Amino acid sequence: MQAGLSTKNAPSPSVVVPHFIFGAVSFLIASIVMLIVAPDLVLHYHLNAKLLALTHVFVLGFITMVIFGALYQLIPVVMEVKLYSEKLAKTTFYLFGSGLIILVISFWNATFDNSQNWYWFWLSGSMILVAVMFFVFNTLKTASKTERKDIGNLFIVTAIVYLFLTVLLGFLMVIDLAVPFMPVSVLNLLKIHFSLGLAGWFLMLVIGVSSKLMPMFLIIHKLPEKLLGYSFYLLNAGLVCFVSAYYFYPASWLLMISSLMILAGVGLYLWFNYYAFRHRFRKNLDVGMKITAMAFILFAFILVLGIFAVINPDFTGAYQTRITMAFGASLIPGFLTAIILGQTYKTFPFIIWLQRYQSKVGKQKIPLPHELYSDQLAKIHYRTYIIAFILLMAGLLFAWIWVIRVAAIFFVITALLYNYNVFKIVLHKQKIIQQ
Amino acid sequence: MSDIKNLTPKENEIYQLLKTVMDPEVNVNIVDLGLIYEIEYNEEQKTIKVIMTLSTRGCPLGDTILQNVQVVLEANHTGYKAVVELTWEPQWTPEMITEDGRMAIEGF
Repeated sequence: MQAGLSTKNAPSPSVVVPHFIFGAVSFLIASIVMLIVAPDLVLHYHLNAKLLALTHVFVLGFITMVIFGALYQLIPVVMEVKLYSEKLAKTTFYLFGSGLIILVISFWNATFDNSQNWYWFWLSGSMILVAVMFFVFNTLKTASKTERKDIGNLFIVTAIVYLFLTVLLGFLMVIDLAVPFMPVSVLNLLKIHFSLGLAGWFLMLVIGVSSKLMPMFLIIHKLPEKLLGYSFYLLNAGLVCFVSAYYFYPASWLLMISSLMILAGVGLYLWFNYYAFRHRFRKNLDVGMKITAMAFILFAFILVLGIFAVINPDFTGAYQTRITMAFGASLIPGFLTAIILGQTYKTFPFIIWLQRYQSKVGKQKIPLPHELYSDQLAKIHYRTYIIAFILLMAGLLFAWIWVIRVAAIFFVITALLYNYNVFKIVLHKQKIIQQ
Repeated sequence: MSDIKNLTPKENEIYQLLKTVMDPEVNVNIVDLGLIYEIEYNEEQKTIKVIMTLSTRGCPLGDTILQNVQVVLEANHTGYKAVVELTWEPQWTPEMITEDGRMAIEGF
């Protein structure tokens, strides 16, 4: 085995593929649910059962599930070590998937009043918590064997720790709702849960993974990794400060300082990306990278909403709840969804391609990985997604339910096309090109 | 071993042959990507040795490309053993891409 060669470290496709299938189907379900619950998305309270159901299908069923699959593939590749346990990864998938289905149904039927039966919440919460503990153990045990210590790996490992904290807090919140024991309001706990999940788990993971993949996909060398180093400290300091402030001492000046630290960390990461895109050797972007680039452009919009959501200026008045909603949506069905859609085309076809064609390489003429899916359909859902996102933002900011419904229809179209491509890749049969 | 600027006619033939091996991600051949560093053709020992690199460490398709090189060399030189060695020194940079490679990447 030569150092730096990683295909032999990659796990078997049976570990990775089910995550992408579950994720794609969850995206379609979430889009349909959005269409149904559109009127609930403009309501002015936070313990909104339908909204919580939709959020968890998106966040856990689609985004986190695809990330789990991608990380099982990626960690061995970028850290040059074998996955600690494939059996544990498969167990995690079934436990996490079934726990999530029960949790989403529980949210859908929840009343959150005195008649609420908490049994299914506790059961599903325990299943998800245990599954996440398995995932954390498996991936950190794998990462501990690597000799490659760099800022990208540090971001990935830190993100995994935040995932555990996010899910642990979610589980404790469900207990707290039934038997209050935490000295903090439900609203503040929700904000902590949301911040740990988005800034801790997702954002740090996106930074770590993108720092690894960008040199490969854009053909670029000597990226300014110092920027990522500073970003790491700012994001962590800001996030710990933000979460502690909400729990112990929610003074607005403290929240402001911690938010500014997070924003500065995000700003440095965007600067890093801007540098990478400016200095890339590969000028022509394929559809996967176009969708990813669009996700980063969305980020500028998200930052503006984030600033308004955090500092809560007087002139926003009655619009504040809508701004907060739009901020959350710009991150979940917005930035993160766009990243997953784009990066699916950069990672998933290779997994299937390697399985089908590795033994044929050089011996026969075979299709290229990007020929395993319909590029045309991917380009169409790139456009339908942009329309869906713009309409969703407008619908949430102006509380126009019918616009949210039209946005949801475009999300359903996007999800159908995405699912078609995911299943086209999964069901691809070996094809030898006649010369 | 001969570096790619001082190849014998036979080694140059092998160098040209390696243009049939593509990097599946960028769809450009490995010669024009500048991944081939040295080639040795040994008629007495019936061996062909290629020293090459990859554009990034941890490239998911790394050993598929190396395997492709070995298969192509052995298929076109019956009775010869091909040895493909991976090196990270010197580190690959985009400046190593040939003019043809640049045009292919930019889609001309």
